[in-house]
Amino acid sequence: MSQYRVTFESPGYLILLILVPFLWWLSYRALAPLGQGRRGVALVLRCLIVGLFVLAVAQTQMVRISKRLTVIYLLDRSLSIPPEGQTAMIDYLNAAVARHRVDDDRVGVILFGRDALIEVPAFAYNITLPPNLQAPLESDYTNLASAMRLAMASFPEDAARRIVIVTDGNENLGSAAQEAQALAGAGVGIDVVPVYYEKRGEVVTERVVLPPDIRRGLPFDLKVVMNNTKQPAGADSGEVTGRFVLKQKTRGEARVVSEQKVTLPPGKRVFTVRQQLDAAGFFSYEAEFFPDHPEKDDTMTQNNRASAHTHVKGKGQVLLIEPADNRSQYEGAVKALAEHNIEVEVRSTKELFASLGELQQFDAVILANVPRDAFVDDNQVQMLVRNTQQMGAGLVMLGGPDSFGAGGWIDTELEKAMPVDFTIKSAKVVPRGALAMVMHASEIPQGNHWQKRIAEEALKTLGPRDYCGVIQYGGGGPRGGATTWLWTPGMLATGENREMMLAKLSRMTPMDMPDFEPGMVLAHQGLMALEDVSVRHMIIISDGDPQPPSPATINNFRTAKITVSTVAVGAHGPANSIQMDAIAKATGGRYYAVNNPNALPKIFQREARRVTVPLRHENEAGMRPQITQPHEMLGGIDAVPPITGYILTTVKQNPLVEVVMVAPEPGPAVNRTLLAGWTYGLGRTVVLTTDATARWSKSWLTWQDYAKLVSQIVRWTMRPAGDEGKFSVATDFRDGQVRVVLTALDKNDEFLNFLSPQMAGVGPSLQASEGKLEQVAPGRYVGTFPAREAGAYMIAVSPGAGHGTLNAGVNVPYSDEFRNLEPNQPLMEQLADFVPEGGEPGQLIQAPDGLDRLEPLLEEFNSFRHDLARATSSQDVWPFLLLLGSCLLFADVFVRRVQVSFAWVPVVAAKMLGRKPPPPPAEMIQRLQSRKAEVEDRIAQLRASARFEPSAQLEPDRRILEEPFAGEAAPRRPAAAPDVAQKPPEEEGYTARLLKAKERAWEKGKS
Amino acid sequence: MGRNVRSASRLPSPAGWLAGLAGAAALSLLSGCEEDPNAIGRLEGVWGKVGISEGLLQKPRAMTIDPLDRIYIVDMTARIQVFDTQGNYLRGWKTPESKNGKPTGLSIDRAGRLMVADTHYHRILIYSPEGELVRTVQMQRGDGPGELALVADVVEDSEGNYFVAEYGDNNRVQKFDSEWRFLLQWGGHGAEPGQFSRPQCLALDEQEHLWVADACNHRIQVFDRNGKFLQTWGGPGSGPGELRYPYGLVLSPDQTVYVVEWGNNRVQKLTRDGRSLGWWGTGGREPGQLFCPWALVRDHRGRIHVLDTNNHRVQTARM
Repeated sequence: MSQYRVTFESPGYLILLILVPFLWWLSYRALAPLGQGRRGVALVLRCLIVGLFVLAVAQTQMVRISKRLTVIYLLDRSLSIPPEGQTAMIDYLNAAVARHRVDDDRVGVILFGRDALIEVPAFAYNITLPPNLQAPLESDYTNLASAMRLAMASFPEDAARRIVIVTDGNENLGSAAQEAQALAGAGVGIDVVPVYYEKRGEVVTERVVLPPDIRRGLPFDLKVVMNNTKQPAGADSGEVTGRFVLKQKTRGEARVVSEQKVTLPPGKRVFTVRQQLDAAGFFSYEAEFFPDHPEKDDTMTQNNRASAHTHVKGKGQVLLIEPADNRSQYEGAVKALAEHNIEVEVRSTKELFASLGELQQFDAVILANVPRDAFVDDNQVQMLVRNTQQMGAGLVMLGGPDSFGAGGWIDTELEKAMPVDFTIKSAKVVPRGALAMVMHASEIPQGNHWQKRIAEEALKTLGPRDYCGVIQYGGGGPRGGATTWLWTPGMLATGENREMMLAKLSRMTPMDMPDFEPGMVLAHQGLMALEDVSVRHMIIISDGDPQPPSPATINNFRTAKITVSTVAVGAHGPANSIQMDAIAKATGGRYYAVNNPNALPKIFQREARRVTVPLRHENEAGMRPQITQPHEMLGGIDAVPPITGYILTTVKQNPLVEVVMVAPEPGPAVNRTLLAGWTYGLGRTVVLTTDATARWSKSWLTWQDYAKLVSQIVRWTMRPAGDEGKFSVATDFRDGQVRVVLTALDKNDEFLNFLSPQMAGVGPSLQASEGKLEQVAPGRYVGTFPAREAGAYMIAVSPGAGHGTLNAGVNVPYSDEFRNLEPNQPLMEQLADFVPEGGEPGQLIQAPDGLDRLEPLLEEFNSFRHDLARATSSQDVWPFLLLLGSCLLFADVFVRRVQVSFAWVPVVAAKMLGRKPPPPPAEMIQRLQSRKAEVEDRIAQLRASARFEPSAQLEPDRRILEEPFAGEAAPRRPAAAPDVAQKPPEEEGYTARLLKAKERAWEKGKS
Repeated sequence: MGRNVRSASRLPSPAGWLAGLAGAAALSLLSGCEEDPNAIGRLEGVWGKVGISEGLLQKPRAMTIDPLDRIYIVDMTARIQVFDTQGNYLRGWKTPESKNGKPTGLSIDRAGRLMVADTHYHRILIYSPEGELVRTVQMQRGDGPGELALVADVVEDSEGNYFVAEYGDNNRVQKFDSEWRFLLQWGGHGAEPGQFSRPQCLALDEQEHLWVADACNHRIQVFDRNGKFLQTWGGPGSGPGELRYPYGLVLSPDQTVYVVEWGNNRVQKLTRDGRSLGWWGTGGREPGQLFCPWALVRDHRGRIHVLDTNNHRVQTARM
């Protein structure tokens, strides 16, 4: 299926090949002494080496030309194609692939709606999609362009490429034509298979229109726009009958305000409903149409509903959040605020806001003795903080036994926003708490995940000085598992060890614990070993099947006043455990039966809070607050009546913090804050660490200035009234995005620059959207957020510090998917007409009778035709050529320097065949014999010399002895041998003579 | 440990041999420890792999063997699978329900049928050897006579009476007649002789005395058929004669008893009065090593098959 071709990246260097003949000529003479054969080999090798090096310099490449084809089908799964059309598309795809795909051709499938996804990657086999194909796609839009981009990215590179688009052509996101141009430029062929269907009638509830300036107590007209797209045909007048229902929603409650039977003629119709809102607050209206005959008149029900929101402003509105299980404790404070014209909406933590946009009706939020675990969703806490930081609203935290550090708020976003930290570093002020946890929930689904999460949540709730330990049953070791502490020693202060603890928790893999006894004994020992602890608590999580502890162990816990809370999880059917209930009852803890693991983190937060009790400071004798500095919050107040309790905190080391009032005891002043405030982002936050209720501030309730104090505290934090006249907000919706444009002018109509406006939107389903506005021109700021759902969006824009919030709205219309009810033939033809680079144009695989009759269609059109530019892939081969040339260089040297004799071959061959070796040539034998005699003679002389006989006859021939060293730097000797008889033989060696010479030189030097 | 590894006769490959020997040598060198003087027995085979397909095991937790040496195993997928003693898969089936939890006890009755202690459904399932559900003995959940908490094991005596061990809310043994009518009960949660803390496994000896693996009391208790306490031995620990979470026991005709210890990763061989004769196995994942074993059986050739639960396999040893 492939062809190969050689190309050169730098062909100019090939001219160097002319060196080859020159080299041949030059070397021919120089290599003559080698003999005929070796010279020939050396010459060939040299030319090859030069040739290879030249090819390497020219960057030789091997090009592979593939005959394969990859076809990717793009299937339109948007709502505009009716279900029967979707089935026909899949039938066509299955049949076309089975009929036309050949050899190694690949096929893949991409599905698209609002986005695109790969259903089948491109592989070389015949795929068969199921007729009821389900895909996690949002089908309310058609984004053909994204599918084309995805196809382009997913094509393998080694084959020709074609996409086959099966669609009705009704794109409403992106630009398919633009993508097609890019694809064609890249050589990708485009076939289009149009899907046809009959035009259908639809009823669309287009929008709910609310006037922009709704005022409390004043009636207004709410308008609902409906559109019947059905056309009269023959006897059918096109009218659609049904029921129209309008609901008003506020604070999670829905109320039907209008319900009527209606008849909708073809075209648009507007219904008007008179409404009046008598209370301030956030309101939402939702209109819906229910057709009498949906199968005939209105097949798509997704477009029958529309909504709009508004909020009616009061004088100054504040949201007071109190715990769901302890309501009405702040009635006095609410009354006090009302006396000073501040409207208070009281909500429990179970009926809170769902989005930041919803909070914009309030100028401040009061958290009244709310523990962290009372919030169902941690995102709500973050919204509260952002509401202050980015949107400029106030945030007041009122104390109480379950607030601040004692409320589990340590290390949270809320703590960062407050002017005080919720932990105490000084041991003299607050004694420590200790928490031990026993983990045995590994058998619930995702058991280890949940165990890690809950342990982490509990750990985060503890203060840095509190102790924490985790007990698990772990395996390992030659003698198996054991109940052990997760870290050693078991109970450790969380402050400096928190990171280590979190790391160990993340690696924790507890096994199935057979009995509680060892774990509880271990926990008891660990907790009792801590001396500086005032509160000891233990939590056991288990599926309840371990064996219960012994009565003696339970008694030990009871005697030591260690409370044990037990959490039964449903690993074996519904959660329930008599023995775990008994443990909790016997030790004064709480028993929880949990079937939904999502509830576990909150339970662990709540239980962990038990050890933070020491942060409360109470004195029944009363403590008179001390005013530290005059402040707006205490305007007109000189003295404050005594309190009996508050929560200890630590003032943040920040010059912005204004501590207004402190308690007289205990410890240093930084921990005794009663009232403090600071500016956090665009807003202000205040802490009042006592509770302002009968529990700790009983004397305040009868104090004449109580209302004044509370209202002044709240008013100091409230968002400033807006100077909206100088700002204007415009909104529009384009390409799936809501665009918000803020124009900012100052009093003199000069542009206001360098603001940092923030916006928060709330959509039809109360989903939140947030973002920043960027400055694009003098006094002009633009921000966008995606709006995936059709309906009304309410947007609050905060221009910055010192400016009130601006409100605006935008209506996101239903997707065109619900309107363009005819196939878009021109677009489909345009796509098929693109001519791919190096190939033939695409085909419009058009079946006038629809895709139902496949046979003629398959007969006529083949999307697996090989008429596109073939895919090529190239690979550099010059490094291999270079390597080969280098190896040949070595061979060249070898051929020239080494003469290889093959005389041994006949000898070996004869031996192997069992024959007599052929006699060597006579001349050679003679030469060998004379050489042998010569060598024997020399050896004999050498032996004679080794006997040390000073005989002239036997004196060895020194020339023979010295011959091997002739070339070396051996000491020169006289050319003729000395006469041994006349001259005594040399008794000293050369070294001895040298030494003597040296000694003589020394002697000379001395003298 | 080293001896067991070297004596393994069915190691998967020469590479495995080398790895095992090298690992054992390295460990010995590193730890400087000598061979366990109490280690006895040799490994004769390892079979079973992790998985949920036929013949594969997913954390198997109970095992029994029938007179024809067919091994029945139930795992955490609630599948009951039948193997021969070489580990060849014969057949398998699933219990009717398993959402609340999986069975933890298997035994064979006098008729050769499989009795399944369906732990979290408070019932006994009785299957033919071919896997046909013959009878479901469903009890009420509770602590009254004839009611059941979490069923750990069941055995049948020669007269057709059934003994059922429970844990969880109750820790007791109940005796039923051949028609599953309540006869008597004894035990209760505690550590005194005659009390239980998770009676995990039952076995009857030649005198029809009931042997109970009292797992969380780390001991073995013996009773007569009327619940009269006869003897107990064991106690928590890793030494000879000590036990840690004994989850299974097998009585051998040579008057010894094999106890598999979930917490000690070993099989201990003891006399009937609790004197240790040595043990086989240590913690780990290599052949000859165990990881939280739950059960064991003895075949007609005297070999011990150990359900190596967390290693998802069975190991065969001769002790």
